[in-house]
Amino acid sequence: MSDFHRLKVQDTKSLIGGMAKSVMFEVSTELTETFLWKAGQHLTLRFELNGEEQRRSYSISSSPFSGDPLRITVKRVKDGLVSNHINDNVKAGDIIEVMPPFGGFYLEPGETKRRTHYFFGAGSGITPLFSMLDSVMCAEPYSVAYLAYGNKNHKSIIFKDEFDALCDANKDRLAVLHVISDSSLWSGFTPWRKGIIDKAAIEALINENPPYAQDAQYYICGPGGMNTAVKTALMSFDVPADRIHMESYGGMVEVDDSVKGRAAKVEIALQGQTHLINMAADQTVLQAARAAGLSPPFSCQSGVCGACRGKLNKGTVHMRASMALEDKEIQQGAILTCQSVATSDSLSISYG
Amino acid sequence: MSEKKMMHVLPLEAYTSQAWFDREQEMIFSKTWAYAGFAEDISEPGQYISVQAGLNNIFIVMGRDRRLRAFHNICRHRGTQLIRAVGKAQKALTCPYHDWTYDLEGNLISVPEEQSEFKDLDKSCLGLKKASVDMWRGMLFVHPNPDAGSIMEWFGEVEPHLGPHNIEELVEYPDARVEYEIKANWKIVVENYIDVYHLAHLHSGTLAMYDHAKAEYGFFGPHYAFWEPLSEDYAKDIEKNAPTPLVLPLDQLGASVPMLFPGIGLAESESNWATFIITPLGPQLSRVENRVRLKNASEWEFQKQQWRSASFWSKSIKGKYSPEAAEHDDDPMASGDFTAEDIYACEQQQKSLKSPYFEVGASAQNGESPVRQHQQVVLDFVEGRYL
Ligand code: FES
Ligand code: FES
Ligand SMILES: [Fe+2]
Repeated sequence: MSDFHRLKVQDTKSLIGGMAKSVMFEVSTELTETFLWKAGQHLTLRFELNGEEQRRSYSISSSPFSGDPLRITVKRVKDGLVSNHINDNVKAGDIIEVMPPFGGFYLEPGETKRRTHYFFGAGSGITPLFSMLDSVMCAEPYSVAYLAYGNKNHKSIIFKDEFDALCDANKDRLAVLHVISDSSLWSGFTPWRKGIIDKAAIEALINENPPYAQDAQYYICGPGGMNTAVKTALMSFDVPADRIHMESYGGMVEVDDSVKGRAAKVEIALQGQTHLINMAADQTVLQAARAAGLSPPFSCQSGVCGACRGKLNKGTVHMRASMALEDKEIQQGAILTCQSVATSDSLSISYG
Repeated sequence: MSEKKMMHVLPLEAYTSQAWFDREQEMIFSKTWAYAGFAEDISEPGQYISVQAGLNNIFIVMGRDRRLRAFHNICRHRGTQLIRAVGKAQKALTCPYHDWTYDLEGNLISVPEEQSEFKDLDKSCLGLKKASVDMWRGMLFVHPNPDAGSIMEWFGEVEPHLGPHNIEELVEYPDARVEYEIKANWKIVVENYIDVYHLAHLHSGTLAMYDHAKAEYGFFGPHYAFWEPLSEDYAKDIEKNAPTPLVLPLDQLGASVPMLFPGIGLAESESNWATFIITPLGPQLSRVENRVRLKNASEWEFQKQQWRSASFWSKSIKGKYSPEAAEHDDDPMASGDFTAEDIYACEQQQKSLKSPYFEVGASAQNGESPVRQHQQVVLDFVEGRYL
C-alpha cells in the first residue's frame, strides 16, 4: 500500500484574484524516485481539519520535463472544506502529508514521437492538461498541440500568462484557443469563441486545425458533463475511442447523491480472511469496514484513484462516483468501496 | 568462369536481372515509408487515393475527424482490390466482386446473403488490414506495417540537412506535373541524381547558376543530402534573375537536392520546390513523377518576374551540344534542359550494361562517393542488414 510522505511546501502562488492557489512542494533527494510523476497524474493530500481526517486528490499542474517543482493548483470550491483551507492557510514552509503520484490519465512524451495532440479543458480541469501540454513542448519536439480552453470570463483563466509564454516560445506547434462563456466581453480580451466547448466548437477547432501529424490524440478534462459531451462529440466525427483520454478533475468528480443507502450486512473477504460486518445506511463500504477495525486499501476517498477497488459478488450498491473505473469493469462487478452505499440488505465483497 | 562483374559495390546484375528487381521490391520497397502524393491530394472526409508501394497496394482515406487512415487495398473475402486509384466515398467502401462492404474505419459492415451463406461469420475478424500513414514536408507517406512507429525515426536524422523551405506555404503549379518513363534501372536514375561529378560536365550549359565547387553533401542513414550555393553571377542580382518569385529569404539562398531512400528525390531551390519520385517498373525501366510547388503569388507577379529574368536566362542556358551539332530537332543534348540531359545519360548508360565488354572504370573519389554509398545502402537492405 502506498504511504503518505511529509512534504514541505516550497512556495505558494495565488492565482485568478485569490480564487485559486498553486502549491509547490520540495521533494528531498531520498524521495525523488518515489515522487517521479507522469504528466496528468495526481497527488492525494491528507489533512486533519476540525478533528477529522480529510483526503483529496489534485492533479499535478507542472511538467516533469520542465524543471519546475512538483506543483498542484487548487481552485476554491463553494463550501469546499479542503480547497478553501488550502487557499486560505497553506504557505511556504508548511508540512503536508502527500501520497506518491498516481493515476492512469497521463501523457508520456517521446523524443521521436510525432503526434497531433488536441486538448479540451475548462476551469480547474486545466491543471493536468497544462502539465501534459508543457511536457509535449519540452520533450516531444516533432509534435504539435492545440488546446480549446473554456472559462467563464477572462479573469478566471488559470495559467493565462504561462500559456501566453508557451505559445510565444512554440509559435509553430502550439495554439491555445480561448472559449469564454460570459456574454459581456467588455474586457478587451478577444477569445477564439464565445460560449462553451460544444460540438460546434470542436468541429471548428478540427476543421481550422486538421491533424498534420496523423497520430492524433485527444485529451479531455473539465467539470460536470463536459467530459462526456466532448467525448460524444468527438465520436460523432468518428474519432476512435482508443484515441480519447479523459479524466474528471479530482475536485469536481461528478457526484450522484440521488440514491440513499440502506443498512446492510456485509461479508468482506480481505487478505485471506472473511469478516461479517454491519453497515449503516449512511456509510460507504469503506467507512463501514474501517469502523469495524479492518484495514482495507484506500487512498483518495473521492472516487478518482481506484485504490479502494473491490469486487461485488452478491447484492447491489450505488456508487456516488466511479471515475476511476471503466464501464466494462463495472459490468464485471468492480466497485469503488469509498463511493459505494448499499442498496440491498446483504452484500458480499472481496478485495483483489 | 570469370569473376562476377561489379558496378563498384553492387554486382552488375543488380541493374539488369529480374531476380534482383524482385528482391528489391520485397526487401526495400515493401518495407519502408513510401511516398504517396502531396498532402492536398486528400482534402476532405471520404476522399481516398491508393498507391502501389512495392508489393503492397495501400489506400489512404480521410475520416470525418480529418485524420487519415491507411489500409491494405485487399478485400477480406477473396482479396480483390477494393478501390481504384482516386475517388470519394460517402460512408462505406464496397468491393466490386461480391459487394462486401466496409466502413471508413475498415470494419466489415455488410455481407450479402449473410444468413444463408455464412452462418457463423464473425465480421469483427474480417476488417481491412491496417497500414500506417503520415504527412511530412507537405507529402503523404504510407508504410505497410500498422505499427511502423514514428516517421521521424526514418527521416529525423536527415531533416535538419534539407532545405529551409516553408513547404506548407507554397502551392502546387499543376502545369508542371509530369510523369515519364526512363529506360534504365531505378538505381541508375538515383545514381545520376546524386552524382556530383557530372554536374559541371553533362550540365555545363544548364546548371551554371549554381556553384558546384562549393557543394556540401553526404548520407544521413540511408538518405542523401546535398546543398550548393548560387553562382556569383546568378546571385548578384537574384531578385531580378530568379525565374519565378523567390521562395527563400535572401540570406538562405541555395539549392538542396536530397535523395531520400528509396528513390524519393527533392529539388528545393531558391525559386521552387519540386519532387522527383522514382518508381522501379522493371529491371531496366523506371517511372519518374515530378511535381512543383511555387510561391503563393499572383499571376501578375509571376509574369513580371519572368520578364525581368528573361535576359539572364537567355544568355545563361545553352545545350551541351550546339544547335548545329544536334542530331535532330529535339536532341536532348541540344535542348538546354538538364532533365533531358540526365534522362539521355541514364538511358545511354543502361544500354551498355548487357554488352559482354562492359566494365566500369575508376570512380571519382569525392564527386562519385554518393554513388558508391547508395549502392552500399541498397546492398544492406537487400541482404537484410537494415530493417
Ligand atoms: S479511495 Fe480512491 S477511488 Fe476510492
Ligand atoms: S472478393 Fe470482395 S466481395 Fe468477394
Ligand atoms: Fe543531372
